[in-house]
Amino acid sequence: MNYRQLVSQLLLAVYCFFCVPGLVGIASGQSLPHEAAAKIDQLLASETDSKTSTPVKSVDDETFLRRVFIDLLGEPPTTDDVLAFALNSEKNKRSQLVKQLLADESYGRNWARYWRDVILYRRSDERGLLSARSLESYLTEHFNKNTSWNEIATAFVTARGDVKENGATAIIMAQQGQPEDTVAEMSRVLLGIQIQCAQCHDHPTDRWTREQFHQLAAFFPRVAVRPKRNQDIPSFEVVGSDTTVETRRKSNNRYRGTPEHRMPDLENPEKQGKIMQPIFFVTGDEVPFGTLDADRRAQLASWMTGSNNPWFAKAFVNRIWAELTGEGFYDPVDDLGPGRACSAPQTLDYLAAAFRDHQHDVKWLFETILSTEAYQRESRRRRNVEEVPHQANCNQRLRADQLFSSLVTVLQMPDSITASTRQRSSRFSPRNGFNSVFGFDPSTRRGDVSGSIPQALLMMNSPQIGQYVLARPDRMLGRLLNEVSDDRQAIRELYVQVLSRQPTDKELATCLNYRRNVGDRSEAFEDILWSLINTAEFLHRK
Amino acid sequence: MKSRQPKKHVHRQLDVSFDRRGGLRRRDWLKVAGASGIGVPGIGWMNQLAGYAPKLRQQNQACILLWMQGGPSQFETFSPQPTNASGGETKAISTAVPGTQIAEHLPQTAKIMDQLCLIRSMQSKEGSHPRATHLMQTGFLPTASVKYPAFGAHVAQQLGDPDAELPDFVTIGRRRGNAGGGFLGVDYDPFKISNPEEIPDNTQLTTTEARYRRRLGLLDQLQSDYEATGGEEEVADQRKLYAKSSRMILSKDMAAFDIQQESSQTRAAYGNSSFGKGCLLARRLVETGVSFVEVSLGNWDTHQDNFNRSKDLCEQMDQPFAQLIRDLQQRDMLERTLVLWMGEFGRTPRVNGRGGRDHFPRAFNVALAGSGVQGGQVIGKTTAGGGDVADDPVKVNDLLRTVCHSLKIDADQENMSAAGRPIRVVDDGQVVEKVFG
Repeated sequence: MNYRQLVSQLLLAVYCFFCVPGLVGIASGQSLPHEAAAKIDQLLASETDSKTSTPVKSVDDETFLRRVFIDLLGEPPTTDDVLAFALNSEKNKRSQLVKQLLADESYGRNWARYWRDVILYRRSDERGLLSARSLESYLTEHFNKNTSWNEIATAFVTARGDVKENGATAIIMAQQGQPEDTVAEMSRVLLGIQIQCAQCHDHPTDRWTREQFHQLAAFFPRVAVRPKRNQDIPSFEVVGSDTTVETRRKSNNRYRGTPEHRMPDLENPEKQGKIMQPIFFVTGDEVPFGTLDADRRAQLASWMTGSNNPWFAKAFVNRIWAELTGEGFYDPVDDLGPGRACSAPQTLDYLAAAFRDHQHDVKWLFETILSTEAYQRESRRRRNVEEVPHQANCNQRLRADQLFSSLVTVLQMPDSITASTRQRSSRFSPRNGFNSVFGFDPSTRRGDVSGSIPQALLMMNSPQIGQYVLARPDRMLGRLLNEVSDDRQAIRELYVQVLSRQPTDKELATCLNYRRNVGDRSEAFEDILWSLINTAEFLHRK
Repeated sequence: MKSRQPKKHVHRQLDVSFDRRGGLRRRDWLKVAGASGIGVPGIGWMNQLAGYAPKLRQQNQACILLWMQGGPSQFETFSPQPTNASGGETKAISTAVPGTQIAEHLPQTAKIMDQLCLIRSMQSKEGSHPRATHLMQTGFLPTASVKYPAFGAHVAQQLGDPDAELPDFVTIGRRRGNAGGGFLGVDYDPFKISNPEEIPDNTQLTTTEARYRRRLGLLDQLQSDYEATGGEEEVADQRKLYAKSSRMILSKDMAAFDIQQESSQTRAAYGNSSFGKGCLLARRLVETGVSFVEVSLGNWDTHQDNFNRSKDLCEQMDQPFAQLIRDLQQRDMLERTLVLWMGEFGRTPRVNGRGGRDHFPRAFNVALAGSGVQGGQVIGKTTAGGGDVADDPVKVNDLLRTVCHSLKIDADQENMSAAGRPIRVVDDGQVVEKVFG
């Protein structure tokens, strides 16, 4: 690092120390995040006590920094961030950093994209993608404002209106308003209960019955998704119609609701089926036949998010915990329920109860989990079933958006590179194109997500990325080589830039050796940069 | 769970491999011979080898799906109704098969009707594009809980060569619908080509080959410290993936993607449309050993101006379709290649106020050729005017079961969905025996 850089880093470090936002005012309710975190670690230790295994040690600052940046903001720290953190000698600098990142706008964006994928990867209809953008901005805004999770969930259940304007319509839109599919998704996403298996038969392993599934669907018969006409940009709207006329359908298009839901007669599919009363399967609460659409959905939302339903808080806590530590209490993350095995039930109960007591305060939950030893441990590979759970954090594959943002940060490339002439609309923006290759359903077991040939080809050969690997004067690498004439130092800085860490001695030697063999400095460094962004390490967070 | 064990069995026990074109490599023939000679005395090794013949035929099998996106009008393609009000202005022409007439816009296709088996009694209940597309391409209705694989993924899984350098499932053209590998996994996702005239995305090196190989070497070295500090699984997976991807892009088989390598006569014979180029590319890929290729043409969603738009689309389709069949025939590939022409549904007998036809799943057309299909026949009839199926209704699962039969793949093979439920390739349905004569 040259003198100019060092000075700017030092200044930044000082700035960060004095101006950490959000130090006060977060701790409403009963327990401060670090107190709750201590309790969680204690419970977890008692539940997973074992003679065969001890938890691994706490992660070093370097690894912690990249982990927490990617987990909260969906992007790696810049070289400036790395130096500022390294130069900060405060004892509580990790919790300072967490508070600082939770106040960053990228936090809301990162988690909005996560939930956008949770909802839209299960779309049963391509047109569900029409709500992708409104959903992302809706959630970005509310996560950043720290709107409580029960408010957000209520909006999803009760949503109406244009799907391009109201992002909360997304769960309904993704299922084209079909009552069965819609409630199956509401239950899976918001409660972590896979009740849809009971659509056709009583659930073989859970206690839910076919009748209960259709009673849940009975909260949604009046909902429909219909095309919006008479406007320039085609769109759809979610409507709730309180019609009293029941029309027989000729096709499976569903532009209008029906007054009540009917459970199909499996023996005689042509028959009309039994009319079902809206009853919420967890609590047994019900509304009478004839209840207006707005009332039945508002009622359902209040019961789903209410204190008599333990699954609401558990489902959210389980997901966030799994995403942050690499291992859920329930696995997969959207299959909880009474018949499922929980790896640490007391810990989950405690955390879910505390989350509820804090009025479903999402930032409180993040701060709490990030303060635990469980989160701050070193990463190991995903454990086998017979191994003791929650002994380490876990190497996590970056989600598509996180990886794209990493490239943007590391290569200092614009978020939207000029799209080629073929790619006219924003649906084909580079980020979306990248997501279509690297995206995966975040609810699938992370161990089951695997890389694909198009992904490898994109990272290796994409002309767009390739341009930003060049050592041209107007590129990150060109600037770095221009400022740092010593090869050894340039390799060090490049490692920090790309992987947010110093190279090991062996890596440094390998790179120096390579540099010597190649001869041409720019060419050698381009190859090193190309290699670094193609490593498994770059595609994961430790 | 029924699995692909027989094939694996052959591979493992005898250590033989099939090459891309389905032949055993010469040295492997001798290994097979040696193994059977020792293992099963009394049975001549020639007889032993004969037992592999069906396997070899299966290995050769391929499918080209010509996907007519948007729902082509049966009245303007294979079922003109010039004497009925529902037929509109479209006239009928005679074909190579006496007594079978098709729409006037398909004169080239008319000449190869002796190779086609036409089903005029396809039936489904799905009248919305996404649901109907999903149904035709997977055999199932879409649900949030199960990600059904595209039919091409099943074909790739059952027929594909795990050691192949090119992908087993390729789609050409803008593709609607997102069915891919589904619960079979990303290995069976389609390799997508949006423009048949361009080399596929990211398959061309950005440097010289020597420098690319040098980079791969450096990458490999730089992974070792991460590998040694908790990243062993990620690095192992990454190495496998990069090896496979590199093998593909450096393979000489990649030339199959370049239709410029065909003579100008051959290219001209497929016509100038993008669809024609896609058909030529499909033939090249199948020739190189790819199991399933889908070529899309559309938009056939002619709610307005149906007659002009259908005519225009027919012109884009006619020459390439006929040429594809002829070309496969001339190259002795038709008997091992099933060509399937279909869209997600047909269009209404009634012409609407805007000169268009709307969605109509109740009675529509599918055409098949090659791979055991008896050409020159028509299966099924509609009532006069085309409002309903009168004879031999064929459901989507019947069709897919028939396709499995033709390709000699197991329609009852069960695969595990992510939720742990075994799901068959095709649920219910019956093979339409008439298709095979």
